[in-house]
Amino acid sequence: MDQKEIYELLAEKLGAAALGFNDEGVEAFADVEPGGIADACTFLRDDGRLAFDQLMCLSGIDWDGYDENGKGKSVKILGYTDEGQPETSDRVGEGDFGVVYSLYSHSLRHKFTLRVRTPRTTASVPTVSKIWSTAAWHEREAWDLVGINFEGHADLRRILLEEHWVGHPLRKDYQMPSQWENVPLNGQPYNENPFPKPEPTPDPTPDQPSGDDPAEG
Amino acid sequence: MSKNPTIPEGYDIQREQMLNFKVPEQLLKVLDEDGRSDDKNFILTTVDEVFNWARLSSIWPVTFGLACCAIEMMAASATRYDIDRFGAGAFRATPRQADLMIVSGTVTAKMATRLKLIYDQMPEPKWVIAMGSCAIGGGPYFKYGYHVVKGVDFLVPVDVYVPGCPPRPEVLLEGLMRLQDKIRGRKGKFITPKWITDYAKKIPYRK
Amino acid sequence: MAIENIKTTNGWADQDHVPGIKSELLELNMGPQHPATHGVLRLVLHTDGEIVYKVTPVMGYLHRCAEKIAEGVNYKQWVVYTDRFDYLSPMTCNHAYVTALEKVMQQEVPERAEHIRIVVSELSRMASHLIALATFGLDMGAWTPLLYCFREREVILDLLERISGGRMLYNYMVPGGVRYDIPKDNWASDVIEFITMIENKKLDDYNNLLSYNKIFIGRLANVAVIDEKTAYDYGCTGPVLRGAGVNFDCRKDDPYSLYHKFDFDIPVGKGEMGTVGDCWDRYIVRVREIEQSCRIIRQALESLPEGPYSAIELKKIVKAPAGAAYSRVESSKGELGHYIISDGGQTAFRNKVRSPSFCNLQVIEKVGVGQMVSDLVALIGSLDIVLGEIDR
Repeated sequence: MDQKEIYELLAEKLGAAALGFNDEGVEAFADVEPGGIADACTFLRDDGRLAFDQLMCLSGIDWDGYDENGKGKSVKILGYTDEGQPETSDRVGEGDFGVVYSLYSHSLRHKFTLRVRTPRTTASVPTVSKIWSTAAWHEREAWDLVGINFEGHADLRRILLEEHWVGHPLRKDYQMPSQWENVPLNGQPYNENPFPKPEPTPDPTPDQPSGDDPAEG
Repeated sequence: MSKNPTIPEGYDIQREQMLNFKVPEQLLKVLDEDGRSDDKNFILTTVDEVFNWARLSSIWPVTFGLACCAIEMMAASATRYDIDRFGAGAFRATPRQADLMIVSGTVTAKMATRLKLIYDQMPEPKWVIAMGSCAIGGGPYFKYGYHVVKGVDFLVPVDVYVPGCPPRPEVLLEGLMRLQDKIRGRKGKFITPKWITDYAKKIPYRK
Repeated sequence: MAIENIKTTNGWADQDHVPGIKSELLELNMGPQHPATHGVLRLVLHTDGEIVYKVTPVMGYLHRCAEKIAEGVNYKQWVVYTDRFDYLSPMTCNHAYVTALEKVMQQEVPERAEHIRIVVSELSRMASHLIALATFGLDMGAWTPLLYCFREREVILDLLERISGGRMLYNYMVPGGVRYDIPKDNWASDVIEFITMIENKKLDDYNNLLSYNKIFIGRLANVAVIDEKTAYDYGCTGPVLRGAGVNFDCRKDDPYSLYHKFDFDIPVGKGEMGTVGDCWDRYIVRVREIEQSCRIIRQALESLPEGPYSAIELKKIVKAPAGAAYSRVESSKGELGHYIISDGGQTAFRNKVRSPSFCNLQVIEKVGVGQMVSDLVALIGSLDIVLGEIDR
């Protein structure tokens, strides 16, 4: 089925929640409101003409600083300097979060892409893990790395980082940590000679007599 | 004779060489004319030499393969680059029976506490080989790795650093030999006496 | 957790519960350092000693921040990090990334480069499947297949070292082609000699030694069945899906590169030794895929065209126009996909890696319940996970 036809069926079902269809780029995608994503996915999976039974990929995105003009001038991320210290900056992140759902149908052999945007302050999207069980871990990863909260998820906790890690690393304003619970994460600067030979300590002069030697008399 | 395809070429010449081979003089001094060894069986050495020799000849690693370097460690223990001929072939799953920890792969912040736990459970004397550039200094994850410990020597004392990404198995074996030199207490390479190398060159072998 | 409250659907659990006796479960840790968990994976088991009532995988012990690095380094520089995902078949990981990037860039690749890419990808796939067989046999207690498979894998690594310079991690593909051409020292004929040896001699050896071994079959038949519905629901792909009876392979059903030109079959599990979708089916799918890879390599090398091996010179800066696309590739573990969002510059804005082992591993939470601990080891071995991919 054509991407445009799939979108028309979807828009018919969703009504106002379907925000638009964009097929100018390499891959066509449909924008959906966050509130309507669960209905959209249920419809896409259950309808006989669409039958999207596999969620290929669920990506969490931080749209902070994206260069809309397409010139490559998006904001740069912060890393460690050459001396191994974390780079710092005062910039506060702005922009929305987004989730992209890539769907595939085994029986009908067609694909579709859905996009959702949610503002940075609320950062909350309904879960689709009741529809495709594979989304459970993908959503945990999006929560872990980007910080998007999925309402209705049975077990939303961190999956790749430790349980009590602070911060969401894939955000554009994330600063690298120096250490985490006494595990050092800084590096060392490049050292030409990491194992220098120690200076030979000068021997005490052997000619001086020690006072308590009986041979001295 | 008829050309038997299972017998390799030149076999009969090699067989002659093997039968006519003679043992060199220095080795004959240890044996008397009947071929039996000398009656005065005394070896003069120090306790340190014997203990170090025993330790380096049977240095058992603990299975601590973390990432890609672990596959090269497995390849080093496979048939082509056999690590068992150095005595290090018995990889123990439990650290309490091991004395070498080859940290092969990236150490992350989450794994660091477990690495320290395994290291603490190993009994003395114990050694650590840092294999691969991730274990030496963070590797390619130096600049943007927020979860990567930039080198395992922030956590445990390292004896030998084996560079590479991943290091070839031969390089790991060289690192193991340097560790054996370190255990033996002699810096630099062990110099084999000339008569042993001459003897070794003359031994014929089957192609 | 009392045992009476656990409801299990498969396995031995219902035979073990004696009514009237209250027993408690142990919470055991199959820790990150373990000889049988294929890497640093931690499984928290709730077990009574033999039967597992709940499995929770804990990962992240190898999280190397690759997706953050993708936002920091160039497109060409990031190919190095793709090797480290599935370090057993690194060429397929390279292939996945450059395919996705070329889709975003809408870049043409010369035919000779595509043929070379297919040949090295299939060689990598064979190397990975050989390790899968070897470690699976090792988990079941068989020592010899490990040595045999590593011996064959060393020959593959020699061939790939001659073409790319690296023994295990290659950094060989660039968007627009490959980095170096085929070396002139009879590389192609050496490859054909090698795969002839594999097809004629070695696969029979492995089948006689391991695949049709009575103990091996007794250990794996009817164990940890993943049926078609579970596989679709959990997004399993690769030999896990094909072992469940589904005839789906990205090379045939969603073709990329030049796979539509070549003639090969897709091995599918049929339940020859037990139920469809048990551990033996997933294992034998991998053995038969080695055979099919040999067929593809032979066809690709015999029809290798002349021409350039890269559309972009090595020194040129690679920029991708603004846009986003998802594209996937059949790696040795399953469907490896990249969702790349580009903003028009040299660095990706977001690069999400959809790794097959991440999705395959989730199945343990459902299928591992009710199994014995040793069957759980068989299940993990048959899923063939690589922690570099799961944790990225």
